[in-house]
Amino acid sequence: MNQLSNLIIRLRFSIIVATLIITIVLGYFIKDLKMNPDILSYLPENDSISLLFDRIGEKYGGNQTAVIGYETGDIFSREGIDAIVQITDTAELFEGVSTVISLTNIIDIKDIDGILEVGKLIDEYDLPLNDREMKDLKQYVLSKDMYKGTLVSGDASMTMIAIKFAEDVDKTKAASILKDKIESIGLPGNLYYGGLPFMLKSVGEIILNDIIFLGPLAFLLIALSLFFGFRSLRGVILPLLSVGIAIIWTLGLMAILNYEITLISNVSPIILLAVGSAYTIHVLNRINETNETDNLKRIQKALAYIIVPVFFASITTMVGFVSFIFGSYLTMISAFGLFTALGVLFSLILAVSFVPALLAVCGNAKSNRSIQNNKESILFKNFLYKIKNMVFKHPKYIVFGWIIICIVFILGATQIQRKVDMLDYFKKDDPGRIAENILREKFGGTLPVYINIKGNVQSPEVLKMMRKTQDYLESLPEISDAQSVADLIEEMNDIMGEGKVIPDEEDKILNLWFLLEGQEIMEQMVTNDLDEGLIQGILSTSDSKLMNEVVNSIQSFIDNNKGEEFVLEQTGFPSIYKKLDESLIKSQFQSLIMAIILVFIAVSALLRSIMKGLFAIVPIIATLIMLFGFMGITGIPLDVATVLVGSISIGIGVDYAIHMITQYNHSYKTFRNIEDALNQSILLSGKSISINVISVTFGFLVLLFSNLVPLQRFGALVGVTMISSGLATLTLLPSIIILSDRILPKLFALKNINKMIKEPSTRT
Amino acid sequence: MKLKIIILPLLTIVFWQLQLNAQTAQEIVNEMDEVATSAMDQMADLKITLIDKSGKESIRTATLKRKGNDKMLFRFTSPAAQAGISILSLPDEVMYLYLPAYAKERRINASTKGQKFAGTDFCYEDMEVATIGEKYTPKIIEENERTWKLEMTPKAEIRTVYSKLIIEVNKNNYYASGIEFFHKKSGLIIKKLTNHQIEKIDGHWIATKTEMIDLKSNHKTIMEMTSIKFNNGFANDEFSLRELKK
Repeated sequence: MNQLSNLIIRLRFSIIVATLIITIVLGYFIKDLKMNPDILSYLPENDSISLLFDRIGEKYGGNQTAVIGYETGDIFSREGIDAIVQITDTAELFEGVSTVISLTNIIDIKDIDGILEVGKLIDEYDLPLNDREMKDLKQYVLSKDMYKGTLVSGDASMTMIAIKFAEDVDKTKAASILKDKIESIGLPGNLYYGGLPFMLKSVGEIILNDIIFLGPLAFLLIALSLFFGFRSLRGVILPLLSVGIAIIWTLGLMAILNYEITLISNVSPIILLAVGSAYTIHVLNRINETNETDNLKRIQKALAYIIVPVFFASITTMVGFVSFIFGSYLTMISAFGLFTALGVLFSLILAVSFVPALLAVCGNAKSNRSIQNNKESILFKNFLYKIKNMVFKHPKYIVFGWIIICIVFILGATQIQRKVDMLDYFKKDDPGRIAENILREKFGGTLPVYINIKGNVQSPEVLKMMRKTQDYLESLPEISDAQSVADLIEEMNDIMGEGKVIPDEEDKILNLWFLLEGQEIMEQMVTNDLDEGLIQGILSTSDSKLMNEVVNSIQSFIDNNKGEEFVLEQTGFPSIYKKLDESLIKSQFQSLIMAIILVFIAVSALLRSIMKGLFAIVPIIATLIMLFGFMGITGIPLDVATVLVGSISIGIGVDYAIHMITQYNHSYKTFRNIEDALNQSILLSGKSISINVISVTFGFLVLLFSNLVPLQRFGALVGVTMISSGLATLTLLPSIIILSDRILPKLFALKNINKMIKEPSTRT
Repeated sequence: MKLKIIILPLLTIVFWQLQLNAQTAQEIVNEMDEVATSAMDQMADLKITLIDKSGKESIRTATLKRKGNDKMLFRFTSPAAQAGISILSLPDEVMYLYLPAYAKERRINASTKGQKFAGTDFCYEDMEVATIGEKYTPKIIEENERTWKLEMTPKAEIRTVYSKLIIEVNKNNYYASGIEFFHKKSGLIIKKLTNHQIEKIDGHWIATKTEMIDLKSNHKTIMEMTSIKFNNGFANDEFSLRELKK
């Protein structure tokens, strides 16, 4: 380590220049960084459900429906109909829109005094003029299930315009421009924008706002907590500077490698601020503690000591994030893991190279005020003394207390909910959420469910199966407005005088089909080659459990209805959400287990003791139990963001354990007895740990101001886990060390373990 | 007398030529209408080729009978799925559809003019035989040796799905060689018709190959007419329900 630290001091100018150049170059690329709020892109591209969903998008002119709700006193008024015509026209003429369905362009099959009419419900070229015509129209529309509750609310105060964007279009961007266009018409009444494209648009805007407002806020809060912790300007500026540079590097690298900012990765900078600053603090601390009159020598000496522990600390933190890369099925989460781990690595590199180089160049590296000798932190002292006394007096009670807490929280953890619905991302008072809720209430929902049927769609067997599937969908309470081409065929067969059923003869179907040719809606119901058809429904729940039930019920329906003429497959939002939900759970388990194993291996190897590896993971496991118990008890669900907290808390929490254990090793060498060694460890490491807990918690608490609910929860949870992780390290870990020293040898006569504890490796 | 025979047509031609130079837009349109309705009746075989944006073709055939401006009988002959489906169009927007599989006719409403006709890029309005001069006010916007370009604005009282048409008219036969259709709301061009072959059959000008492109969907319809016969002396009852069901 001496050689390395000498090298760093010798190359100090080169290091500073190189850091600046890299920062400028990578910083330049940040401008290319794109945002991707699309939850659907969470699933890997080759995921079967996501593939079918995309195929449906290609074959039927889009798979994501943007919904515009238009509310006015009475839709069936001249102004009301005019407004629908204007919105419909604006959407239809909009570049990138593939289909539009509204009251003024929907197909209508009717029989008026024996005259069959296959045309539009409202002929935009022959709009109803007088009150009577308007009244008749209203009565007719509300009498048909095809329209009531689907295109018009039951009270006729609101209508819905459903828009699908072409597959090759940036739907979020298109939705944003379309909204502006429709707003600029200046229609009387209220407009509501819902459906995934509009939701994604809002999420994108919120992410951007979060980055702009929360980033600096986190910076400020961490700066403040650093200042109050260390009372030194240098202790504030240098950690933030090095982390700021690490963040620039990380974002620049993301841009170069074509990764996008997602709902999750926008948390990365805040995590780095909270976590990465610790390394610089350790380095500064050490420099201050080192007694050496010559500036360069002091830095060199301090560095030679601190590189290894800081390296350990960052490696274990990285392990927490790297576990996402291997543990997650969801691409965004693995990308998040990769870049946050890289950010941690950059923070480490900068803390041990750039920071000392800067101090070496800038003259006196020793702060006027020694960080360690700060007498003002009586608060910490009192607190730590109390903890220390408690640990020594009642180690059994502490362990027992933790066991009780863990049991309670394990019970709490069984109550954990899962949420993947995008609506849940928005605050309750967010206009987007309000709009979406109104649309769900009036029209049953905005999220489509699809069942695709392969087979000749003009054959009676396939059409009858479509009818049956549709009936089945309608029988599910969570699905409304099931539709397929079978509706239209039945309707026409009825008008031809043969009842509202699918005709048994293919000839008849072919004849009826003639009337449907060229109708716009056909593109959304059957493929061009007439070898596939779509049965669509609207999902009216956002509850993950119910969604899973819907998917399972549909699947068992599909399994029970197999035929030679057709193949049924399902996709759509419940299936995608179910897949996401399952992946979240799977990600959670896999990355947690992987993180615990990796941390165990890393700590055991670093401290050259399996026993210490085990000790280190005890507070981590306790913290995880607290985390999940807290989620279950408070009703904070496992969602796309909170799923990350577990592994992050492992990554950060293990630092505390390592601090404690290395300090213990160090002190043991001096005192040669467990009590004194632990005493010193709690008082010394306890302070750094407490400051770190406070600054990390503050950094993450900024997320409470985020406008995205998952990020708020994320912030709160990280706070909770940091505090419990700190407490577990300060109380549970020493208690276990004390108890294992007393009990283990007696109980198992395992002298080796005893020896291992009593004679720590001399590594650090 | 002989001289008169020669001079009179000559004079007529000279006069006609003079008049031609100064012809107003309205006169051109009147002339067009006359050319279009010059025959009493007409029958033909139709081949309709539909081409989607990926270039996939589907072909159907039909026979067509027409009398005057307002009677038409259209009968599909292939593909098998559609053979026998017939449409009878009578005055006052009365239209009947015959579905052979049901062996029943139903009156259908043709008032929804913007609806596509049988999956083609022609809408019901495009299929109307109605004379153009009655519906639109013309204006010459371009002229060269061979053609006039007329901008046709719908008259106030007319219901139409277009905001305007731009028609290219051949000077030699007063037959439209191409029409551009403009969307009623946006004012943008939405469809384009091209008459590829304009022939004189039995003294009447007729386009025997017409192409219509829907510019938004990039879908194309080509209608080709063969076995065209004019002035067959169709009786009115050849455009009856009994005839429809045959």
